[in-house]
Amino acid sequence: MLLRISNLVLKELTQLLRDWLMTTFILTLPVLQLVLLAYNTGSRISNLPVAVLDLDHSSASRQLVTALDNRRELKARYFPATLADTHRLLDHGDAALVVIIPNAFAADLADVSRTPNVQLITDASNSVSGSVALGGAQGAVATFAANLAAERGLVARLPIDLRTSVRFNPTFNFRYFSIPAQVGFIIYQVTLTVASIGLARERELGTLEQLIVMPLRRIELVIGKAIPALLIGVLNFLLMLAVAVFVFQVPMRGSLSLLFLLTLLFVTVEIGYGILISGIARTQQQAILLVFVLAMVDMAFSGYMVRVKHLPAVLQAIANMIPFHHYLTIIRGVMLKGAGLDVLWPQAAAVLLIGLLVTAVAVRNLSRSLD
Amino acid sequence: MSIPRLLAVVRKEFRHITRDVRILFLVTIAPAFLLVTLSYVFSFDVNRVDIAVRDLDRTSLSREFVASLTAGGDVVVVAYIQGDEETEPLFTRDIADLVLVIPHGFADAVLGGGPAEVQGIIDGADAIGAGQTIRFVESQVDAWGASLGIHRLDAGVGSLDVSSLAWYNETLKSLVSMVPGMIAIILCMPALALALALTRERETGSYENVIATPVRGAEYLLGKLLAYGASGTVSVVLTWLVATLWFRVPFRGSFPAFVVLAADYIIASMGVSMVIASFVRNQQTAMFLILVVFFVPSFFIAGLILPVADEPVARAIAYGLPTTHFITICRSVFLKGLGPVALWEPACILLGIGLAAQAVSLVRFDKKLH
Repeated sequence: MLLRISNLVLKELTQLLRDWLMTTFILTLPVLQLVLLAYNTGSRISNLPVAVLDLDHSSASRQLVTALDNRRELKARYFPATLADTHRLLDHGDAALVVIIPNAFAADLADVSRTPNVQLITDASNSVSGSVALGGAQGAVATFAANLAAERGLVARLPIDLRTSVRFNPTFNFRYFSIPAQVGFIIYQVTLTVASIGLARERELGTLEQLIVMPLRRIELVIGKAIPALLIGVLNFLLMLAVAVFVFQVPMRGSLSLLFLLTLLFVTVEIGYGILISGIARTQQQAILLVFVLAMVDMAFSGYMVRVKHLPAVLQAIANMIPFHHYLTIIRGVMLKGAGLDVLWPQAAAVLLIGLLVTAVAVRNLSRSLD
Repeated sequence: MSIPRLLAVVRKEFRHITRDVRILFLVTIAPAFLLVTLSYVFSFDVNRVDIAVRDLDRTSLSREFVASLTAGGDVVVVAYIQGDEETEPLFTRDIADLVLVIPHGFADAVLGGGPAEVQGIIDGADAIGAGQTIRFVESQVDAWGASLGIHRLDAGVGSLDVSSLAWYNETLKSLVSMVPGMIAIILCMPALALALALTRERETGSYENVIATPVRGAEYLLGKLLAYGASGTVSVVLTWLVATLWFRVPFRGSFPAFVVLAADYIIASMGVSMVIASFVRNQQTAMFLILVVFFVPSFFIAGLILPVADEPVARAIAYGLPTTHFITICRSVFLKGLGPVALWEPACILLGIGLAAQAVSLVRFDKKLH
């Protein structure tokens, strides 16, 4: 049995290496892609363009603009003259935020009986940058007001001072959050693609018949097809992990061998999915488009875009059936939080269970579709 | 260019698509189905914050403080802890988003005019969520402080009002901003199908039959483009129906303008996939390349979730991706009600990418076997 499997693996590897273009792509593109994505994600949201409609032109209004500009996330870039111009800047997406400083701003500030009103309008068509810009501007106005009060010898203080400290990622570096997710997503994509196409291609090209007449058992065929995909997935993972840790300085606080073992488990389960798709699809086109649909659904429930914890029970149940969701918790937990198996065992067990189930269905389905 | 030959290619491709029920499903209905799934997830994106409380003060005022934070229902206390060592496990197990530490002497400090220092420890692993959590909890804490009325003693002079508005998406809901963005990502699917259709013939050998026919390169490519473009346009209409009728995302622009701009995007994305297909000989490589150079970057760096990073290289790459421009177009037409005139810039860039890519694929086209 071992000999037959290793012969099949040898055949698969020969086939893969013969297509040197594909081999080069499979081994180098994921790493290049990670570099590209990680570099371009930026470590934080910064310099969102702000348009300031300053109707006062006083030193106080200029101080407020400086306070806005000093915020890391904002950059005062446009100084339109009219309200219509500010609206146009928002419409065209040139400005993420508009600040309107009323006339007599400085005079009203100096007058005890009056309270000037500063208006902030954010472009919420992108809700993330919209709320970041708004939060930043509100912070800047608060700083400005506090400075002003201090200048006048007043201490405008709230009875409670909330001091926040941040664990695991003190600077809110987005890369710490996105790079582990990107590593997970890329190995997921690569292994699923390679595994799902394997049998569909043989069928489409007519070489599957030759495989069937060989003295190979179904399970041997599955294992033989799975091993090359596993090798590719693991190799990619190691390369990308090295880039993440050494180039982008993502912390690796937990145990490398634990992460490696759980990645191996995850890749194996994804290959099971791939073989399942391979059995369902008649052509490579079908297989690939199915992979695409599956990838999008998995991404939605993975916890990268929406926090699964806050979803309703039904959607949480769906998310818990998706290995990528558990893997994301695992890779983030191990890398950023230094979590061990004592914390991550439910995720590991879930991936294992899903894997056994999927592989069982895949092998059964495959035997039926081969006969 | 002969119209009958072109139509023959279109007819052949249509038969390919409609003959195979699964492919028909995948290139027309699947995008709408995906939008339903993805958007459904976003519609539950609430601002809930799970906190753990470590109350060292244990006074009625500290309990009142915690009760006021949770009164709105958006902040939920999931645990009361005693020692600092209990903090980290709450984060590694993803139980709490924030640990609130109320110090000894909290009540005395508040009643004495403050400030009482309260510590919030936050799990920074989810960088986007953590930022939102901090802003939200801060505003709740400030609101409680203000409700005590103590700080008003020294405010009043030099105070300043801020009125904040969120345009186009008044409640800053992520569903409203994500659905139009997701449409752009999902409509990569027809382009992927086209690349596979182009490489499949070479891989399975039926390309020999194409060579034997009098069809010219331009007719062959345009025929495939028209067939897959038409099925892509069906998905455009279906996804639009899902977005507006199911998820009730406001649609403030004009529908015909949206379809025209979407067709513009489909031309551009199909151009990219035609260029890729002209370089490769099998479907696996085509799929791989499209995922790597087109689809995954579209997801992460085209401005869907985070805005395009403020770095020259990032800007240049995002500029070259058709998805970046179509995300802008979708959000502008849906939420801002802009028309093609206001959107001439992204529309022209898409058209430019499309025409250039198609010219390249036409030049690279050859009716030979390798």
